Amino acid sequence: MSAAISLSHVSKRYGSRYIIHDVSFSVEKGEIVGFLGPNGAGKTTTMRMIAGYTTATSGTVKVAGFDMATENEKAAQRIGYLPEHPPLYDVLDVTSYLRFVAKVKGVTPARQNSDLERVISACHLEAVTSREIYKLSKGYRQRLGLAQALLGEPDVLLLDEPTAGLDPGQIHETREVIRSFGNSHAVLLSTHILHEVTLICDKVAIISQGRLLAVDSPSKLQQASQETNRVSIEATAPKEALEQTLRGVDGVQEVHVTRAPGADLRHRVECLVEVGGDVESRIARAVAGRWELHYLERQQPTLENVFLRYVSQGQQRGETQ
Amino acid sequence: MNGALAVFQKELITYFRSPIAYFVVAVFLLGTGYFFTYNVFLTGDATMDETFRNMGVLLTLVIPVITMRLFAAEYSAKTMELLATLPLRPWQIVAGKFMGAMTMFGLIIVGTLVNLVPLYLYGNPETTTILSGYIGFALLGMACLAIGQFFSALTQNQIIAALITVPVLLGFWFIGNLQNFQTSAVLQELFAYLSFSLHFGDFIRGLVRSEAVVFYLVVSAIALSLNAAYLQWRR
Repeated sequence: MSAAISLSHVSKRYGSRYIIHDVSFSVEKGEIVGFLGPNGAGKTTTMRMIAGYTTATSGTVKVAGFDMATENEKAAQRIGYLPEHPPLYDVLDVTSYLRFVAKVKGVTPARQNSDLERVISACHLEAVTSREIYKLSKGYRQRLGLAQALLGEPDVLLLDEPTAGLDPGQIHETREVIRSFGNSHAVLLSTHILHEVTLICDKVAIISQGRLLAVDSPSKLQQASQETNRVSIEATAPKEALEQTLRGVDGVQEVHVTRAPGADLRHRVECLVEVGGDVESRIARAVAGRWELHYLERQQPTLENVFLRYVSQGQQRGETQ
Repeated sequence: MNGALAVFQKELITYFRSPIAYFVVAVFLLGTGYFFTYNVFLTGDATMDETFRNMGVLLTLVIPVITMRLFAAEYSAKTMELLATLPLRPWQIVAGKFMGAMTMFGLIIVGTLVNLVPLYLYGNPETTTILSGYIGFALLGMACLAIGQFFSALTQNQIIAALITVPVLLGFWFIGNLQNFQTSAVLQELFAYLSFSLHFGDFIRGLVRSEAVVFYLVVSAIALSLNAAYLQWRR
């Protein structure tokens, strides 16, 4: 069975400048994939290519098995798309707008009312159904954008920053909607909120400067980056002797010593250590045996660290090319 | 066709919930009323001939105000991203919007019918001539709308869309006058053929010539096809 969304060696070029370079990944049915990247990384362009708003210069984009270059009208019936800016007609009221989208999506007149009720209820729009869109708050506008994407029960949901502009309660509700939809459909969501990815995504795709840097589950990406584990300590000891001692500990790769404010000989040390092993115990023994050790902490890699690491690697790679 | 109808319905709601539609209809009807009063009551010519001619010129100035928002507003409000990713073909978007604009124009035509009341009350006008004038006016409006809609698709600035459309429509209106400055018979014929006002003049005189009907239909079809092709190309 083909993936719900599949990109194969996709590139997008404007003139001689590549916006997207040889990107390949897929999203299966029942999977929620988070699309991470700094501003200008190519997330929106990639989403637009998948949605059919723009075409790839080379490579193949397929949605529900349909090639977006040749069969985008068939694919469009299977896609629910919330762009970065919710595409709303300010002069229409909420119900007229949703009815318009439902009609275009081919929802039969008999099913229109129930489908509208479903998305209005899922996105908590009951209080504003007859209100003109220009009168809606930012949060309601965002939820209305999500509601139109959910109309017609699409197989694939593409969400560009779906929780932008929402308050914490609305963010929680929106994530629940996406999570429940993602159980039986394919969801690709771009976001800047790394916490959101760990909460609702099964897989993460990291993109920077138009290149895909990593695609895996959040936990596997965190595991894979444990080679950059850090151990932080604070001890009262002479700087050079402390640095020399720590460099001699098996498993320590890098040592950065800074003076702690207040006491003369109190120093803070950041050690970059190898994966696995019991490096922090060896560090504790080496320091506590000779000086006063105030605290020691092994920092687990967060998704934020993973993201920053991949992005900085990607930028270095981009600069060298 | 359902997609085009949905776009058409959305366009109608958009027109009537925006003040610009009422403003355009009011300006056109006031202008037409003024010309009618001047032509009929002050010059004593109890026909619609001169009024139709004035309506034609007025149309080239009013149509850009109707069409300028058709696509330019979709771009600037970022709603084109919705239209382009919904299951709609470019021609369905173009047809839906064109039908909406034609409906607006139809209301303008209906509004001008009020001028006929005093004409029939106090004069003895030829009904067939008036009918052919209105057929010509409808065809002229159709071609102008199609051209204006196409130019609206080329920019996201509504003012620029209108500023391009006005000179183009005025150009089509006055191009027939260039005949007088040409010695080449081919150019004279070409300018006459392209002239909106010369073809419209036939309808005003009561002549419904197939050549003129086909001319307006072809101009409309070309503009709408270019419009759909441009939307496809933008992807």
